[in-house]
Amino acid sequence: MANVLKHLPELEGMELGYIQGILKNMDDEQANLFAQVYRARRKDSQMVLILALLGFFGFAGLHRFILGQIGLGILYFFTVGLCFIGTIVDLVNYKSLAYEYNIKVAHETLSVMSNGMGQTFSQEKEQNDKNDEA
Amino acid sequence: MASFSYFDFQMKSKVNHFRRFPTELLFWCLAIVAILMIDPHSQTHFSICPLDILGIDWCPGCGLGRSMKLFATGEFLASFEMHPLGGIAWLIIAFRISELVKLLKTTSNYG
Repeated sequence: MANVLKHLPELEGMELGYIQGILKNMDDEQANLFAQVYRARRKDSQMVLILALLGFFGFAGLHRFILGQIGLGILYFFTVGLCFIGTIVDLVNYKSLAYEYNIKVAHETLSVMSNGMGQTFSQEKEQNDKNDEA
Repeated sequence: MASFSYFDFQMKSKVNHFRRFPTELLFWCLAIVAILMIDPHSQTHFSICPLDILGIDWCPGCGLGRSMKLFATGEFLASFEMHPLGGIAWLIIAFRISELVKLLKTTSNYG
């Protein structure tokens, strides 16, 4: 069983609990790989907050774009964040927006790992065999 | 091992606490209720738009609510004239609500 604090110490709150639930079933090596990929792909909630704040200067909805919600991004952009009301709501729940995106990424990473894991290990084994021959 | 399970228990209660407030879902549902209560043909209308309160008369989002109401009652041309994004906004918001409901289901079943 891998501990989330050891592999992804920067997580907090809901995300920490959720990722701990995923890492529970992994050994340390798997957890290390998961942590590497997940850290590269997740979005920080502070970035969402800053992009949402840009909505007050006329560039609303950028946070929706980077979270992959293109439709809402366009709607926010052309209506100045639903006349600032949408922007204000997103400032309140920016953490759950980032959390929603991040658990999607976590599931993506998990499925990629379960597909590619066998391959990676066989490649490593080949590498080791070659090293042994040399 | 015992300390870990205690940690898990703590995390779970914290997570559950957050899960009880689907802020965004609530916001969109209230927005739809509010929009359906708008009377689009009255001359003076009550507005919660912060720009309107500040005294600025026009912003790019003006008329979106009335446009959505007109679209819902079937006056598509008037809706498009009020704000071109009215119909598209219905689609986007409906999609977003379905996503949020799905998210609520997946996260509350995990861990």
